[in-house]
Amino acid sequence: MHELSVASSIANSVMDFARKHNAQKVVEVTLAIGELTSLATEQLSFCYHTVCKDTLIDGSSLSIEKIEAEVSCSHCSYNGAPKMWEGAFHSLEVPTLQCPECGKGAEAVKGDECTIKNIKYVE
Amino acid sequence: MCKGHSHSHSHDHGVATQEVAMEENFMQANDDLAKENRSILENHGITAFDFMGAIGSGKTTMIGKITERLKDRYGIAILNGDATTVDDFDDSALEGAQLLQISTKGACHLDADMVARALREEIDLHQTDLMFIENVGNLVCPADFPLGSKKRVVVVSVSEGPYTVRKHTEMFMGAEIAVINKMEIADVMGIDVDALINDIHTVNPNTKVVTTSCRSGEGVDDLIELLLERSAEKVNA
Repeated sequence: MHELSVASSIANSVMDFARKHNAQKVVEVTLAIGELTSLATEQLSFCYHTVCKDTLIDGSSLSIEKIEAEVSCSHCSYNGAPKMWEGAFHSLEVPTLQCPECGKGAEAVKGDECTIKNIKYVE
Repeated sequence: MCKGHSHSHSHDHGVATQEVAMEENFMQANDDLAKENRSILENHGITAFDFMGAIGSGKTTMIGKITERLKDRYGIAILNGDATTVDDFDDSALEGAQLLQISTKGACHLDADMVARALREEIDLHQTDLMFIENVGNLVCPADFPLGSKKRVVVVSVSEGPYTVRKHTEMFMGAEIAVINKMEIADVMGIDVDALINDIHTVNPNTKVVTTSCRSGEGVDDLIELLLERSAEKVNA
């Protein structure tokens, strides 16, 4: 549900960018979103296009890259992919903060990205 | 702001397009304000807790019970975020604490700006030692919006069913403390509390878990010990 407020803040950033670069048209915006965020990408995309209507960035397409999580363990010095919880709910596999090597608590070092990576526009 | 961006030009269907690569965090505004809130709180020696959880999990009652027990020893401020209502508290039991209702006007989470305004304009920071921030009843959205609190507490009641942790792993990943509430009806609800605790530790082995029955007050002292870090080891054992 918070995708709408997030989409608005993305759209505001893209509009600032478009004004600053005197863009006639924004063609494509690329986001990178980490898998540990609770942002639903389809909803975010829908909300983005809704808030862009009748603005100077109307018609821009949104492409979203998913960034996979990585954890770091201070107990055993493991760095890398998190331990996945297989079948956590039905067939879902979800990342956890359990160290895949020693089972203790690890820290997420990648996966909470919320970034605008690229903007393609017509000058 | 875009930093270290690179520029490139290309021609799509005869139209000259420009491309700028950047690293702009679109959650930066909230993250920055959360940091500011945290330093304001720290400068005033205030320990703040963000209580998150579903509607009806018992957040309000829990904060009420904690406040009743601590208000004679600590200056307490309660920020109660709600999507619509503005009358969540029975004031009489909490006399002496500062109460502030924050209506999010329909939004599904508090954000750092709402808390920043409360810190600047509404709360007497000099009279405050502990601050309880009750987030909007929602197990998804608040996870992405840090407020600047010292610890995040997620409250889950056994009435939410056996799968609530599995369905909301992001929320538990970011929580230092998880409270399983309404223990008095766990049997009636057919809930295996050990399995719930196991689920929480599967998601995040560092999350400290405490069980409570807030209506009777059982477990509230254990939670207080955990919040105030007086004997965390004992409670978590």
